[in-house]
Amino acid sequence: MKHPRTKTAKRKAINLIRSYGVLLSLVLVILITGAIEKNFFTFENLLNVLRQNAVIGIVACGMTYVIISGAFDLSVGAVVSLSGVIAITTINKGGGEMLAIGLALLVGIAVGIANGVLISTINGKMGEAFIVTYGTQTVAAALAMYASGGLFVAGRIKEGFYKSIGKGMTPIAIFIVIAAILQFVLAKTGFGRRLCFIGGNMKTARMSGIRIVQNRIAYFALSGILSAIAGIILTSRVISSNPAAGVGFEMDAIAAVVVGGTSMAGGKGSIAKTILGTIVIGVLSNALNILGITSYPQMMVKGSIIIITVALDVWNKQIKERESANEKSYA
Amino acid sequence: MVEYVLEMKGITKTFPGVVALDDVTFSVRRGEVHALVGENGAGKSTLMKILNGVYQARSGEIRLDGERITIRGVKDAQRMGISTIFQEFNLINTLSVAENIFLGRYNDSGLINWKLIRKKAADLLASLGFSFDVNRIVGKLSTAEKQLVEIAKALSFNAKILIMDEPTSSLTKNEAEMLFGIIDKLKANGITTIYISHKLEEVFRICDSVTVLRDGRVIDMKPVPEVTRDQIIEKMVGRTIDMDFPKRTSVPGGIVLSARDLGRHKLLRGISFDLRKGEILGIAGLVGSGRTELAETLFGAARIDRGHVEMNGRKLALRSTKDGKDNSIGMVTEDRKETGLVLDFSVSKNISITNLESVSRNKFLNNGLEKAAAQKYIGELNIRTPSMNQSLLNLSGGNQQKVVVAKWLFSNADVLIMDEPTRGIDVGAKYEIYCLMNKLVQEGKSIIMISSELPEVLGMSDRILVMHNGMIKGELAGGNMSAENVMRLAID
Repeated sequence: MKHPRTKTAKRKAINLIRSYGVLLSLVLVILITGAIEKNFFTFENLLNVLRQNAVIGIVACGMTYVIISGAFDLSVGAVVSLSGVIAITTINKGGGEMLAIGLALLVGIAVGIANGVLISTINGKMGEAFIVTYGTQTVAAALAMYASGGLFVAGRIKEGFYKSIGKGMTPIAIFIVIAAILQFVLAKTGFGRRLCFIGGNMKTARMSGIRIVQNRIAYFALSGILSAIAGIILTSRVISSNPAAGVGFEMDAIAAVVVGGTSMAGGKGSIAKTILGTIVIGVLSNALNILGITSYPQMMVKGSIIIITVALDVWNKQIKERESANEKSYA
Repeated sequence: MVEYVLEMKGITKTFPGVVALDDVTFSVRRGEVHALVGENGAGKSTLMKILNGVYQARSGEIRLDGERITIRGVKDAQRMGISTIFQEFNLINTLSVAENIFLGRYNDSGLINWKLIRKKAADLLASLGFSFDVNRIVGKLSTAEKQLVEIAKALSFNAKILIMDEPTSSLTKNEAEMLFGIIDKLKANGITTIYISHKLEEVFRICDSVTVLRDGRVIDMKPVPEVTRDQIIEKMVGRTIDMDFPKRTSVPGGIVLSARDLGRHKLLRGISFDLRKGEILGIAGLVGSGRTELAETLFGAARIDRGHVEMNGRKLALRSTKDGKDNSIGMVTEDRKETGLVLDFSVSKNISITNLESVSRNKFLNNGLEKAAAQKYIGELNIRTPSMNQSLLNLSGGNQQKVVVAKWLFSNADVLIMDEPTRGIDVGAKYEIYCLMNKLVQEGKSIIMISSELPEVLGMSDRILVMHNGMIKGELAGGNMSAENVMRLAID
C-alpha cells in the first residue's frame, strides 16, 4: 500500500500551488515580460493596468458576494451597459449629473433586486441563478439597446463631477475603497458571516434563524449597484455611452473571482482573492499585449488559465474529501 | 467445507497518527447473522471497509472459505461475493429498480435485453418474497423499498456475505420487522450477514453471534444466547452504565409555551398543548404522523394556517426561523449534517452563528469573544475536538450533536425543540446527551423532544404527546406512560 506520508506531502505541494500558484504565475509573467520589454516595468504602465481593470474589479467584488452565497450573476455586464446608457441619456436630456447617477444606481439596484427576489423565492441554486440572471441580462441588454437606439451616444458633459469620476486615479480609488469595505464586511460583520453560512449550507442557515430570502436579495442588489457604479465610471471615462459596453463583463468578473481562488462551491472566499485575480488577469492581458500577442491567442491563454485554476480547485477538494473520509473512520 | 466462511486474522490498520485496528481477529460462521457492535470510532467501519475493499490493511490475512484472498477494491470484493449495504444507499434515484439492480451490467454483447434484465430483477425480488414493479423509479420508493433494491442488487452479484451498516436507522418499526424477515430468508439460503448496529435489541432479535470492538481491538466474540445486554454495553464502553436514562429530580413549573388549535394545510390539525418550565415533553408517533411538521411550525420554519402559539402568555408572530430564534426558541433538527451544521466550518463558527451580536464589539465580530464562547461550550458540553478551529467533518456524530445543542444554548433559547436528538450516535454519547438534557431542564429550560425510539421517549419525558395523522391522538403522563399505550395511540 501507499505510504500515508507521501500522500500528505503531495497534498501539501498541491495546497501550495493552489494557494500561491496564481501569485507565483503572476510574478513569473511579470518577470519574463519585464525582462523582454522595457516598457512593461514602468509605473505608468502598471497604473494603466490598474485603471483599466478597476471597472472589472468593482463588478467582480459584487460577484464575489454572490458566488460565496452559492449562486452567480450573469446580468452584471448588461447592467453596466444599461446604467451607462441611462446616465448619459439623462444628462443629455438636461437631467443633471446627480439625477443621472441616481437613476443609474437605481437601475442597478432594481435589476439586482429582481434577480434576488426571483432566485430566492424559488429557493434557487446555481442552475436557477444561471437561468434567471441570463433572463435579466437579456432584458437589461435589450433595454440598453432600446433606450439608445443601439448607438453610441456622446455625452454632452461639461467639465465637472461626472467627468471627473473616470479620470486619472479616481476609478482606482473607488475600486480600492469598495474592495476594502466589502472585505471588512465579509470578514468582520454578522452580515458577512451569514453570507458564508448561506453559501455553506442554505438549509442549515435557515434552521439557524437566518432570513435567507432577504439576505440573498441583498447580495444580488449589491452586485447590481456595483455594476451600475462600473457603468458610470466607464461612461465618464469615454464621455459617451455604448449599449454594448458591458458585454462579456460577467464572464471576466467570474474569471477574476475564480482565478483569485474563491471556490464556486460557495461558503468560502474573499474580496482580497478577487483583487488578486483581477490583477493577475489584467497584468496577463497587458503583458501579452506588450509582447505583441494578438487578441485571439490572448483569449486562448485566458481561457486556459481559468480552466487550470478551476481544475486545481476541484482536484484539491477531492483530495481533501478523500482524506477527511479516511480520517472520519476513526474520529 | 470449513466452518468459517470468513476469517480475518491479525488485521492492523493505521492512519496518520492513529491505530484504527490493532491485531483484530474476526471470524464469521457460514450462514449466520453476526453482529458487529462498538461505539463510534471503535473500528467497525474501518474493519468493514477492509473487507469490502475500500481500504487495504497494513498487515494481517483474510480467508474466504478457507482460502487466502487479497481484496484490491470494491469491485474485487463484489466479485468474490462480499457486498455491502451502506446507510446511504448507492442507488441512482432517476433510474428504475431493474436498471439499478443491474447497473453497469446490462449487456454481454452489443444490445441490451431489457426484457431479460427486468425478469432477472423481478426474480431476485421474488426470491426475497416481494413482488414489485421493477419499472418503478427508485427516487419514488420508500426507504425500506430502496433497501430491498440494494439487497437484491447485492444478491445479483451472488453475494455470500452481506454487510449491513445500521440498516434500520431510517426504517419504521414495521419496515424493520420486514427486514428481519428478509435476513431470515437470506440465512435459510446460506447467505451470511454481518450486521452493524447501535440497537442492541436488534442484535438479540436476529443475530447468532456478536463481536464487540473497542478502540480498534476485539473485546469479545460470543454466541448471542450466552451474553446479556448489559454485558455487551459494558464491553462496548469499557465501564458499567448503571442505567440507560439518568434520573432527574426537578419538577416542571409554570406554563412557558402554549399551542392553540394549530393547523397547517393537510399536515397538522387542531394541535393544542402546553409546555411547562423545566419540562421535557416527549412527542411520539410514527414517521409521517406530523411530528417534524409540528416542530417546524413551532420554530417558525413553516407558516401556520390556523391557531397561534403563545409564549409566557404573549402571542407569537412566527413568520420565519428568525422569529423563532428571537423568541428564544431553538431547534435541534433531525438531520444534523443537512440542516443542523455547516460541516466544513469550524466548531466555533457553527456555535456562534445563532448569536453573532454577542460575539461582536461595536457591531463588528470580535475574534476573542467568539473564541471564548466556543471554549465555554466545548468545556461545558464536553465536546471532544482537537481545537475549536477544527472542521466538524472530523468530529464523531455525538460530538457534532453537542455542537448543535451548543449553538442553541448560545442563542439563549428557553425552549429547545429536539428532533431525534440521539439519532445515529453511540451508547456513550447518547447517555451524555441525556445528562445534558436533564441539566438544561434543571436550569429552567424546557425541551420538546421528538423521538422514534420508544425507550428514549419513555425514559426521558415528563409527559408524552402521541401524534397520528397530523393530530394529537392522546397525552400520557405518570403511570400511563408505557410502550403499549404509546403504540396503541400511534397506530390507528
